[in-house]
Amino acid sequence: MTAETTTVPFTPVQPRHVAVSADAILAELVAMLVEVVGEELLIATTVDRDSSFNADLAIESIEFVALAEKLENRYGSRVDFMAFLAELEMDEILEMTVGTLVDYIAAQLGGAGGEG
Amino acid sequence: MAEVQANGLRFHVQHLRGGRATTDRPTVVLLHGLVLDNLSSLYYTLAPPIARAGFDVLMYDQRGHGLSDRTPTGYDVDTAVDDLTAVLKACGVTSPVHLLGNSYGGLTALHTAYLHPELVASLILVEGQCLDPEHSGAAPGAGGYAGGWVEDISNTLNLIAIGLECNPLGTDLVSRTARKAARMRATADALLNRTTLIEDVTTVRLLTSEQLAAVPCPVLALFGAGSNLVDSGPLLAEHLPDCTVEVFPDAAHALLRDAPERLLASVLTWLDTRSPASTAFTRRGTDYAARSSGYEAGAAGHDASIAAFDEADDADAVDEGAA
Repeated sequence: MTAETTTVPFTPVQPRHVAVSADAILAELVAMLVEVVGEELLIATTVDRDSSFNADLAIESIEFVALAEKLENRYGSRVDFMAFLAELEMDEILEMTVGTLVDYIAAQLGGAGGEG
Repeated sequence: MAEVQANGLRFHVQHLRGGRATTDRPTVVLLHGLVLDNLSSLYYTLAPPIARAGFDVLMYDQRGHGLSDRTPTGYDVDTAVDDLTAVLKACGVTSPVHLLGNSYGGLTALHTAYLHPELVASLILVEGQCLDPEHSGAAPGAGGYAGGWVEDISNTLNLIAIGLECNPLGTDLVSRTARKAARMRATADALLNRTTLIEDVTTVRLLTSEQLAAVPCPVLALFGAGSNLVDSGPLLAEHLPDCTVEVFPDAAHALLRDAPERLLASVLTWLDTRSPASTAFTRRGTDYAARSSGYEAGAAGHDASIAAFDEADDADAVDEGAA
């Protein structure tokens, strides 16, 4: 993340959206998950980058649909979630971690992702 | 558009705007199956590529399923048709639609085409439970069917309902997977033991040959060769004025799982030939075809993955309930 704030010499600065940090995206994602699943989500587990939607968070497939819609509403003009999901095998969607999704969003928003 | 109020209850709706660039193609409406199914089974499989081909795609959780309201009654086909027409209206869909029904959703689709022909441009029945091949000589107009898939479904659902009632949840709900299974069991239990769903399914009326002959729109009927319903194909072709039947070898009832690539190809071909498209659409369709193989691989494990996603652990008792 920190490297993103440094201007590379002699490289024209292209106008683009302000990059959103992966940490900020993670926080928003967790808030959306709570909206979809309920506050109980946070009772027993901490949601972090390594949390698997299926194994760790036990998100149902229909709940993931609702989450995708919230993400679409929040970032949809710049992040094509249907394309993202369509490129994944179902096993990959199942076992996806929160961090994978955060990184995809961050990359689409302008390269603030990585391992942030 | 996550929710709409229609026919007196709240429906969870997903509307993919694949056709927003132009509006000359009908909306494609996808209807899921019974009990454990919901719109996610279509959202992860057929919906994205259909949207990419230039169609608006509308899906909703049927009454009592997924994230839609669960009412104590109203699980009969006529109410399902009313729900559909109300959802279309609430979503502002006023032109005829391509209507795809999977499994029990096929029954709703067929009845809609019969009762509201002005609403339907074409039908796609994916293993649609529309006729009873084991009782083709019966006169369904005389009353509810005895035997065949109606009885099979009723028996299966009754067994599951009893199982859920007689085997209450244990107290070990500490792990997340256990809590997830508990949620699923609670949902199935509520639907099967505290609504009229089983009774409504048991008393379903199937269209007579005369009624089938009055369905004006073209129909694509898709079956798996290993399905109990495959013999419905010739009956539908015999009575419907315009019916194309395709049978997929090495597949059974769950075509979304057993034959996702062929299913998608058949659906896209059907939609394309029944929907006059602009040059731009044709080009987009070609683009899609070139990149679809990657997606289809993703769809291959869908039903199994739904099972893994939603029916993990000890939910196998209700696994048979999806129809």
